[in-house]
Amino acid sequence: MGDVWAGLPILVQDIAVLLALLVPLGVLAGLLWRGYAPGRLVRALLWRFRWANAMFVALIAVSVGMGIGLLAQERGLRQGTAQAASKFDLVVSAPGSEMTMLLATVFLQPSDVGLIGGAAYAEIAGHENVEIAAPLAFGDSIGTASVVGTTAEFATYLSDGAIEGRLWNAPFEAVAGAAVPLEIGARAEPAHGHGDAAEEGAHAAEFNIVGRMAQTGTPWDRAVLVPVEAVWELHGLANGHAPGRAEQLGPPFDADFFPGTPAIIVRATELWANYALRSEFTRDGETMAFFPGTVLANLYRVMGDVRQAMSLMSVVSQVLVASSVLLGLFILTRLFQRQVAMLRALGAPIRFVVAVVWSYAAALLAAGTALGLGVGLAAAAVLSRVVTARTDIVVSATLGWAELHLAAAFLTATALVALLPALAVLRQPVASGLRA
Amino acid sequence: MGLPLSIAGLRVPGPSGRVLLSVDALDLPAGALVGVKGPSGAGKTTFLNALAGLAERIEGRVRWGDVELGSLGREARTRFRAAHVGMIFQDFLLFEELDAAGNAALSSMFRPRSERAAVTARAVAGLERLGLRDTGRTVASFSGGERQRVGIARALAAAPDVVLADEPTASLHREAADALVADLAALAREGGTTLVAVSHDERLLAAMDRVLTIRDGQLLDGGTA
Repeated sequence: MGDVWAGLPILVQDIAVLLALLVPLGVLAGLLWRGYAPGRLVRALLWRFRWANAMFVALIAVSVGMGIGLLAQERGLRQGTAQAASKFDLVVSAPGSEMTMLLATVFLQPSDVGLIGGAAYAEIAGHENVEIAAPLAFGDSIGTASVVGTTAEFATYLSDGAIEGRLWNAPFEAVAGAAVPLEIGARAEPAHGHGDAAEEGAHAAEFNIVGRMAQTGTPWDRAVLVPVEAVWELHGLANGHAPGRAEQLGPPFDADFFPGTPAIIVRATELWANYALRSEFTRDGETMAFFPGTVLANLYRVMGDVRQAMSLMSVVSQVLVASSVLLGLFILTRLFQRQVAMLRALGAPIRFVVAVVWSYAAALLAAGTALGLGVGLAAAAVLSRVVTARTDIVVSATLGWAELHLAAAFLTATALVALLPALAVLRQPVASGLRA
Repeated sequence: MGLPLSIAGLRVPGPSGRVLLSVDALDLPAGALVGVKGPSGAGKTTFLNALAGLAERIEGRVRWGDVELGSLGREARTRFRAAHVGMIFQDFLLFEELDAAGNAALSSMFRPRSERAAVTARAVAGLERLGLRDTGRTVASFSGGERQRVGIARALAAAPDVVLADEPTASLHREAADALVADLAALAREGGTTLVAVSHDERLLAAMDRVLTIRDGQLLDGGTA
């Protein structure tokens, strides 16, 4: 059985789970409605208490929307960060924390890290399975944008070649990320450091913006990419090339004049070679090689507990709202106690009366849940825009099967509980109900 | 056709155990039109509830035709009402959001599919017979007299053998009440329906074949009609 299930396409599994979650609801509705036609009465009750009903639906929608929005946002964030790391196949750095290096290289978070020397760089760049070995250099900023020194080859790879204008041909030419407010032709002086601690005027130099990358969906959209040689020179270091080739930009670099780099972004010639390279360049006390995707996956695994806690909190909040709505339904059903007694006096069976009251409650729950999906999607979209605007990680939150499953589970569970107010109405003796 | 009623040794106790109604014996023929009068709180509505099988507990015997209500469980009594009893209430108890036809044909919603069309047709015919042509209008806009006509049409839609009416004219002005009494009596006689109407309305009581009096929970003039 497990094998059969595992053998089904994911889409089929998701649809099956959704249907399984909704089956109890359908069965209950079928059992209650079988042989009866309570639709007009249900519509009459919905219309009679339309303002109270609208409030209940709104409450349910907000509750469901919050839960769904959180789930969708969390998944969107995961996908966005994974997407942001996708161009960073393999990172080689000095030994230390993979997470720190991941934040420094992919997410451009300033950090103090060790440097890899020229010999190690030369060995990596010269490896037969390495297609790109891009050294990085950090430390400066232009406004809120980080200045990142790298190679033209990596800038082309990162942007898939989608660069408006052109790449740099001279040390103090630069390519702006898609979110950097600098036009082609602008000139900008880099400050040493970042943020409040940045020292304006520390470097007597200006970068000429000659190109602009298309959006990559990574924090690099908020960076200004410059030749790595320029960053080294600005900091009074050798520029990576022997004096005779001092005007050269990009590899090969001369090991003797290589001032060191915190990280090298490596792209292998073949996918399988990444694993060999990681193994080869993971050396005690010398270099550390890691896949950013793997580090993120480990992070997601740790965050999985948090995600579960979030899901639980979301469910708890939904249960609380559903409980208050059901309490409201108990009160509302007292209002049509006389009508219920009248129906019983006219000979309506218990199942019919339960069908009417339950369908009324289920309609509110279904409307609230459906509206909640929309609210959740809207909330996630707004949050995504905020996160994207602040981080440049493209977070696109959409409704997935997990959200649909959550909504279906909520609807079925609360609809089953909604039998309680329906049954409570019947506890009142008909004769006293008629006098109520 | 109506059902005959036979009551013997009926006692309806209240929640505290006090006897709310006591009827030693009463026999009514099928198709009889019977009024029930008495001061407020005397037990008239309790009497009607006992006849409808709505009283939670009774002692003694209430028999409609061959059916002994006391021997039936709650749902069986409900089925009995659905099959044989129509009820009219003092304050109509209509669904304001439904039109006249929807209210009059209310019982079609919980009847077998095969019977629904007939119930609806009888409900609409009953409304028209009672002078209500605009059956598609919601009852919220109806006058009291019109509403009670809808209530009567609803009670008769399932072609019941018995109609139990609780103060059917109490909420109506005189002219509307008179018209309603005439229509109700005429419809009951036409269908041979047994009608038991609790009322303070002397004109309604005058239109009945027989009038019973209940005072302090006692049926004073029981016996055979």
